Amino acid sequence: MIIRENTRDSVSTITLAGTLDALSAPELQSFSENSALSPNVVLDLSDVDFLDSSGLRVIRGMALKKRESGGDVILACMNDDVRKVFNNTQLVRLFHIYDDLDAAVTYAETNKKSI
Amino acid sequence: MNTTIILPAEMCYLRLATVTAWTAAEIFSNSLNAENGIHDFCHAFKLAVCETFSNSVRHAVHSKEEKNVTIRFSSSNDRLTALVSDSNLPFDPVITLPDIEKYPEGGFGLFLIRQLMDEVVFTRENGMNLVAMTKKLTVEHKQGN
Repeated sequence: MIIRENTRDSVSTITLAGTLDALSAPELQSFSENSALSPNVVLDLSDVDFLDSSGLRVIRGMALKKRESGGDVILACMNDDVRKVFNNTQLVRLFHIYDDLDAAVTYAETNKKSI
Repeated sequence: MNTTIILPAEMCYLRLATVTAWTAAEIFSNSLNAENGIHDFCHAFKLAVCETFSNSVRHAVHSKEEKNVTIRFSSSNDRLTALVSDSNLPFDPVITLPDIEKYPEGGFGLFLIRQLMDEVVFTRENGMNLVAMTKKLTVEHKQGN
């Protein structure tokens, strides 16, 4: 799993590439715990080809943790297989999800100002 | 189809298990000359095997002896079954959707498997945990075949 982070418009965007499963989920967990991220974080999933419940659990944990301090995790650009996992577990209800990265960053930036 | 793969119960073998699941589902789909729905069928088996294999590995870490996970793929007409077995301690499969807003509760894996498969059967037999996961491939034959 490749994990990259950059900050755009004061919003941290984490770009993931590869397979997010029980083998790689601890990498994302560790990254999120040890990185200085903005209150609102955009997770760019466009290059994630596979997601299992372990990856899902880490993403959900990141979002719930962020919400404790008034932030959030916004999801962007997931493929159909990844979206299916969110739909099947109903976790789709927990997130703001965008098909477009710019729209996700704009939402995160706008929402940040009201926190 | 009747194919078996035996892997050490270690997480580093997870991708070998999932690639095998995808390939088995693909071979099965091709054997039926299926045209549509192959990707979703293969993804369902990949994800279901991913969840069961990683569950087996997590439970195996409590054991001092070396453990294996056996995955057997078998077909009957238009149905493919993945039978995942391990010699871990018995477990009680709870297949209800966890509270999505409760942190850090898990349990999404078994729920996902139930969503993806047409039939999921958990049994305990001769000291082994068996998870049989079956899915039907709705076949639309390729034109000209």
